Amino acid sequence: MTKLIKRRSFLKGSTAAMGALVFGTTAPYYFQRNIAKAQETDSIKIGILHSLSGTIAIIETSLHNAELLAIEEINAKGGVMGKKLVPVVEDPQSLVQVFAEKAKKLLLDDKVAAVLGCYTSASRQSVLPVFEEYNGLLLYPTLYEAQECSKNCFYTGAVPNQQLDDFVPWILTTLGRKKFYMIGSNYIYPKETNREVKALLQKHGGENVGEEYAPLGHTEFSTIINNIAGSGADVVFSDLVGDSIVAFYKQMRQFGFTAADMPICTPITTEQETAAMGPENAAGHYTSFNYFQTVDTPENKSFVERYKAKYGANQVTNAVMEAAYFQTYLLAQAIEKVKSTEADALIFDGLPGQEFKAPQGPVKIDEKNHHTWLWARIGKAREDGQFDIVWTSQDRIRPDPWVDYLYPNKDCDFTNSSVLERLKKPWSEEKNRSGTMDL
Amino acid sequence: MSQALISQIMIGFSVAAILAIAAIGLAIIFGVAGVINMAHGQFIMVGAYTAAVVGQLGGNTFIAIPIAFIVVALLGLVVERGIIQWIYDRPLETLLATWGVGIILEVLMKVIFGPELLYVGAPKVLDGGLRLIGRLPFPYYRLFLIAVAIVMVALTFWIIFRTDFGLKVRAVRRNRAMSGCLGIDTAKIDMLIFMYGSGLAGVAGAVLAPIKSVSTTMGFSYAVGSYMVIVLGGVGNLLGVPTGAFLIGEGETLLAFKYNSVIGQLLVFVAIVIAIRVFPRGIFGYHERR
Repeated sequence: MTKLIKRRSFLKGSTAAMGALVFGTTAPYYFQRNIAKAQETDSIKIGILHSLSGTIAIIETSLHNAELLAIEEINAKGGVMGKKLVPVVEDPQSLVQVFAEKAKKLLLDDKVAAVLGCYTSASRQSVLPVFEEYNGLLLYPTLYEAQECSKNCFYTGAVPNQQLDDFVPWILTTLGRKKFYMIGSNYIYPKETNREVKALLQKHGGENVGEEYAPLGHTEFSTIINNIAGSGADVVFSDLVGDSIVAFYKQMRQFGFTAADMPICTPITTEQETAAMGPENAAGHYTSFNYFQTVDTPENKSFVERYKAKYGANQVTNAVMEAAYFQTYLLAQAIEKVKSTEADALIFDGLPGQEFKAPQGPVKIDEKNHHTWLWARIGKAREDGQFDIVWTSQDRIRPDPWVDYLYPNKDCDFTNSSVLERLKKPWSEEKNRSGTMDL
Repeated sequence: MSQALISQIMIGFSVAAILAIAAIGLAIIFGVAGVINMAHGQFIMVGAYTAAVVGQLGGNTFIAIPIAFIVVALLGLVVERGIIQWIYDRPLETLLATWGVGIILEVLMKVIFGPELLYVGAPKVLDGGLRLIGRLPFPYYRLFLIAVAIVMVALTFWIIFRTDFGLKVRAVRRNRAMSGCLGIDTAKIDMLIFMYGSGLAGVAGAVLAPIKSVSTTMGFSYAVGSYMVIVLGGVGNLLGVPTGAFLIGEGETLLAFKYNSVIGQLLVFVAIVIAIRVFPRGIFGYHERR
């Protein structure tokens, strides 16, 4: 176990002071450096790896905030195993290569128990080899395109089956719209999502009348809207991301498509975008998520209240932030359960099956595939940018990284004994071992 | 001609108008002062944020246009007097300096307004669309944008060709040293042109905000579009901007209509590279007299 994180060396480690970025309550970018001189022996270090600068800082700062809030709450309740959680914050500046560097630093220099981090798939894929080589533990909060299974990563965001399996049939039956026009940004997530939507349409008797991808960051949709008009579609399924979202909704209405004639259904658009596109453009369109700020649970009410109290009354919570928040709790509970911060103990014993009463409802990490059982919900955008929840699943939905109707023979099972034996062997004994399962 | 194609050609006009609106400020600064303003996209962004503030205070796009013009022209004045005037004769350094200004503006707006997307609505009068021919109603707001583009180009023509100031501008552009010898204050001409070009960028931000997203990072895509327009059109003649914008706008949308947006963008880039091979200085290239 020479290259792995040793608990003993972690406990004996230096008592160097470390900076934790704590954000002010008034302006998100006004922050101060808070020096925490925690004694190593009565604290547990948790790495926080989200961009606080650069292009994706907008969303990642909110994830970082949600995780710090959870850590603060856990510490207020007495910490874990009687020890305080101490966040070690690194800023990868929205640069994929810096993510890997910072991950390495957190694992080797800071010797953190686990890292909460990343937002984009690109950043996750750049850090995974680091976590696999040094046997670290990453908790990843974003909804993503799935088809991945790493020993060293737990995924607390939704995979497509949790957002689509009920959404597509709901559009076909409850909305009564059968002809889908699919539009997305031109990269992997929208393409994979639309593959799944097309398979679901075939299964449930819908029709795909058009499919089009716009370059990332595209804000001119007039031509695509002209194509939509000619396609005979009665509903638009959108996987546009970023700046494209607001421009598309605005232009749809300007070209005469109201939410009543042509609802836009999407697994991506959050409260932040609906607020920015304005009431006249947002109201009446549908989004499928596990979580909306309007979810009616006592846990969510107090989560939203505390988040606003800490970061400002105008803050809006969304699904990825909620996952960032509850994954911090899942990690704390797992450490408490195995009474250890050893990565293998957490990976094989602590985290699988771990449950928590999250703001969206009780969630659970799957015993086998490292993904998370989440609730499914469909929201209809209101004039104020928030969503009315028009449908909620009966129960938590099982995460399926390789959905049966597209990949019948693929699955991900970390309880499988042969896989387990192979993965538990130390790195040094098997040169070519990879933490990623070879399926 | 099919109804769909008629709609598509009208859409192409509106996209060309958007490109021309975004590019004209850049073109005039480059054409006269010889500075490629790398912060042009961020100037447009500041114009859009001005429109957002005007909107929050209850004003609409029509009120935002003059305010954005003044705000961004003053910003241009500060940048020109503070930085550019010292380095006019060093093109590489003006590139770097204006690039830096762009980054500063992005961060500054993020500090002031936070990182969220902002909302800017279209004026109520321009709600809805004209349904004459074509498959889609043509939004009144896009007709308005075409009008704005025509007015901006025409106004610039008028200033350059029908005023004393414009006469001096043309003289400076033809032969800077000789103009200076004849008593024209070339530094002042550069400053005023930089302000005017910046102000036009502000107007672009204000009128484009209602149909696009408003965020601190929005500037980049407009900057790319604007550079393409002036590279293709050239800055030797003001007609370069509308010509370049028209060719790119119609070209890209028709190709996107025939194939798809990704292919459309790709083919337009390829066409521009070929066009540069044929017209190295743009369609309306220009040679300074020495």
